Amino acid sequence: MPPKGKAAPKPKGSEANKPSSTSTSAPPPPASTTSTPSSVPSTSPSTVSERSQQRFDESRPNEAAREKSGLSSLAPAEQVAWISSQFARSSAARARLGTKAQRELWRHVNEASLPVRAPKTKPSPGSWGKDRAGQHIGGYTPARFDDRAAKRITLTALEIASRAFKDTRERARKGLLDPLSKEPVVLAENEIDQEKNRRRQMAALRRELYGQTMGQFEQDPEWDDVVPIPQDEPEMALAAIAYPASYAEAISYLRAVMQKKEYSPRCLRLTEHIISMNPAHYTVWLYRASNIFAMKLLIPDEIEWLNEVALEHLKNYQIWHHRHLLVDNYYPSIADDADKVSQFAASERAFLAAILAHDTKNYHVWSYRSYLVGKLGTWGADELAAVEAMITDDVRNNSAWSHRFFLVFSNPAHSTPGTAATDPDPAVPRDIVDRELQYAMVKTYLAPQNQSPWNYLKGVLAKGGRRLASVEAFAAEFVAGLGEGEEVEQVRSTHALDLLAEIYAEKREKEKADLALRRLAEKWDRIRVGYWEWRRKCLDVEG
Amino acid sequence: MIPDLFTQLPPVRDDLETDTSEAQDETVEACLPFLAGQDDLFEYNEHGVPRINREKHIKFLHNSLGRLPGGFVAADASRPWFLYWSLSALTMLGEDVSHYREAVAETARGMQNDTGGFGGGGRQLSHMATTYAVVLALALVGGEEAFEVIDRKAMWKWLCSLKQPDGGFQVCMGGEEDIRGAYCAAVIISLLNLPLGLTPESPAWTGDSSSNLFTGLARYVRRCQTFEGGISGQPDAEAHGAYAFCALGCLALLDNPRRIIPRYLNVPRLISWLSSRQYAPEGGFSGRTNKLVDGCYSHWVGGCFPLIEACLSPAASASAGQVDNSARAGLPPVSESLFSKEGLIRYILCCCQDQTKRGGLRDKPGRLSDAYHSCYVLSGLSSAQNQWVLADSDDDKSATGTAADPAWTVLPPLEEDVQIFDKRDRIRPIHPVYAIPDENQRAIRSYFLEKDSEGGFL
Ligand SMILES: [Zn+2]
Repeated sequence: MPPKGKAAPKPKGSEANKPSSTSTSAPPPPASTTSTPSSVPSTSPSTVSERSQQRFDESRPNEAAREKSGLSSLAPAEQVAWISSQFARSSAARARLGTKAQRELWRHVNEASLPVRAPKTKPSPGSWGKDRAGQHIGGYTPARFDDRAAKRITLTALEIASRAFKDTRERARKGLLDPLSKEPVVLAENEIDQEKNRRRQMAALRRELYGQTMGQFEQDPEWDDVVPIPQDEPEMALAAIAYPASYAEAISYLRAVMQKKEYSPRCLRLTEHIISMNPAHYTVWLYRASNIFAMKLLIPDEIEWLNEVALEHLKNYQIWHHRHLLVDNYYPSIADDADKVSQFAASERAFLAAILAHDTKNYHVWSYRSYLVGKLGTWGADELAAVEAMITDDVRNNSAWSHRFFLVFSNPAHSTPGTAATDPDPAVPRDIVDRELQYAMVKTYLAPQNQSPWNYLKGVLAKGGRRLASVEAFAAEFVAGLGEGEEVEQVRSTHALDLLAEIYAEKREKEKADLALRRLAEKWDRIRVGYWEWRRKCLDVEG
Repeated sequence: MIPDLFTQLPPVRDDLETDTSEAQDETVEACLPFLAGQDDLFEYNEHGVPRINREKHIKFLHNSLGRLPGGFVAADASRPWFLYWSLSALTMLGEDVSHYREAVAETARGMQNDTGGFGGGGRQLSHMATTYAVVLALALVGGEEAFEVIDRKAMWKWLCSLKQPDGGFQVCMGGEEDIRGAYCAAVIISLLNLPLGLTPESPAWTGDSSSNLFTGLARYVRRCQTFEGGISGQPDAEAHGAYAFCALGCLALLDNPRRIIPRYLNVPRLISWLSSRQYAPEGGFSGRTNKLVDGCYSHWVGGCFPLIEACLSPAASASAGQVDNSARAGLPPVSESLFSKEGLIRYILCCCQDQTKRGGLRDKPGRLSDAYHSCYVLSGLSSAQNQWVLADSDDDKSATGTAADPAWTVLPPLEEDVQIFDKRDRIRPIHPVYAIPDENQRAIRSYFLEKDSEGGFL
């Protein structure tokens, strides 16, 4: 019979080539297993892999013995049964047999009660795949495996229910009628909550079963209508960031809503979410501003929210431009109400004090502050007092000194708009110039080597169009015995000596100026020797 | 071997303690061991200066161009900067970066918007700073494939839409107007040979051809000079080192620096402020009055000096008995240097190198290195090591109101005996305005110039 004749000589070639040692050595006494392969007592399996192996063996009589010792080790009847089973399972193989041979085959199949539908491939522990923890599923206990199967069924059921929800919602949105009740389809409020709950369960199951994370937005029924646009960077892109999944998802939804220019409460929440992960994302800030203006939201609410964000991200500067845009938008609505303006100015001042307490020289905060003064017109005593408090706190805080200069000399009530900061401005009243000179000098005494009040002093002199020599006596207080020998010469402030050099130059006292500069270069401020030498050359030009 | 200037506290100190003085004292304390040659990780030369650790820095910079871990999410809107910083630093260290050409071109393409300019990443709003960074990165890798990524026509329209009636530039649509915008716009326009005319959509459009992209820009820069003499980010703010470079760089692109800088800025006050930024014993520059030294100001402040010194230098024609251009400023030329190059080089080599396995350059001892500081510390080192001179060539031609093209040339290395650093530690010179090697700025400019002469722009 063809099955036998065909198969019999074939498989044994490899067996025959085996080293004689193995063939001569007593073959394992497989009789018990080989002769009655299907009668192996079905002890209850400890893992699903074992259970599957048992089922496989039951469907393939003699397989285990053949695999172990070769086909020829089987009894002839067993050989026929094995070969028949191979043909029975393969329609391609059967097709090659003649009609008669096929008939013969089926007889053997029937005689041996071989299962025609049997597991196709031999199971191996790895063939079950691994779970998310990297564990072979084949190693699960049957109970655990069945639990997993049940969860998969639960997940499928949830997915079907979720699709039904989406379908109902879509029909409700289109205003369709229910085919049975003929009533319009309505989505009940609690159905949305149920769906949210369902998505949470789905997310948990997907994570547990497959290690898949279901993003926050994918879980939210409210975002179902948005098709996220994922990052589409070329493989070779440089400095590409391995985004955390939550960021990547949020950004892909941002791209989608920005593309369709959507302005809505959910978009506002989306921007907040992204800002919490990356406050330096300028695009999302500008988009947030557009949302606020498009929805005409209350600016004070946004400012209140912004206060907290600013305190969390002290070094960020996009926050301050956002605030600038908010104030630009808000101010016209309160401009006619002096009370409201001063109220707003007071609350801003309080917040600025809080944030500057954390970072007293924050450049962007101070820049915003000068913008705010110009916008609200708060040039008065309150602002001056606030800055003075900061100078009292740290007399070396140059940001505070700069702001004071702006407050005093850019006040439109007594300055000429458009005057360069280093140029004189005749519109500034004398008493103000005097007051500011006095202020700088008093503060200088606290720490004469502090450059801030010296720069301020020079700035005030320039604004007031005063001669530098008007403060010669003051500057001279910090320098003694210049050029009179190492023992005698005393300099308590290099800035005083620098100013004296300028004063002497202004008075055409070239030699005294040159001496001051020389001493700065030689002893008191040597790192700036190149500059002091150049200043000495300037004396010749001024000649 | 180490002058006591760099190992001792300054001779004039106040007793009063405030937050500022405490931070300053801590910084000096942190720097002194490095300056005094007491760090075990270093090998010092006879001047007490360590060598530049090229290999480690190069490795650090290549890594900055690779895939960045999730913690870099905060940099998601500034990735073009990583390209520029890393490629620029690598170039200065002598690396050939042209093999990054295709990758830079591909990365840039994904960041370009149809409406012109480049964003911080794909589908981000075009921004002046990121566009500047992309254009420089493309110039650094060079080649037609890189240059052709840029949609110049869209770029020109986009710049027109950011030009403000007061002369300045917004940094992006709806964004702030500041001096970074002014400098970046001037660099982009000049490198890409963009036309200066305005589109009718520009906020600065006047209905005729009386104003263009450069109109009022120098006046805007002038409004940023403060009472201290330094430059603020926008009018009415505090003088800050980064903005000083932006101001001078911008002006130097608008016209011949000898003429335009004294015309728009109070030069003596500016020099006084710039010079005050250098501290001893640290040797490095601070960014503002009473703030701490920081390696990145080696470029932002240090990079101002070549421009200032050029503006003070007599034009070549003066020696031939003609009018001395510097007479406009009424100021003498500089003999050697306005600042202590030795101090800066010491600060950079002793304090700004991360000598651990990590490599890279940093703000100050105790801080982590990063690509930003690596770039600007090396830029500062480059300008301290190399001397640029401004030729007098086309002084009159640039009076036509178009962008001036003054010829900058770098002088051969100074005599060996005045150097405190090892000869092998010389960094490649970079152009004082574009902050990339001269040949790179020439290549991209002449590419577009040639293209436009064949009618390429429209
Ligand atoms: Zn820095």
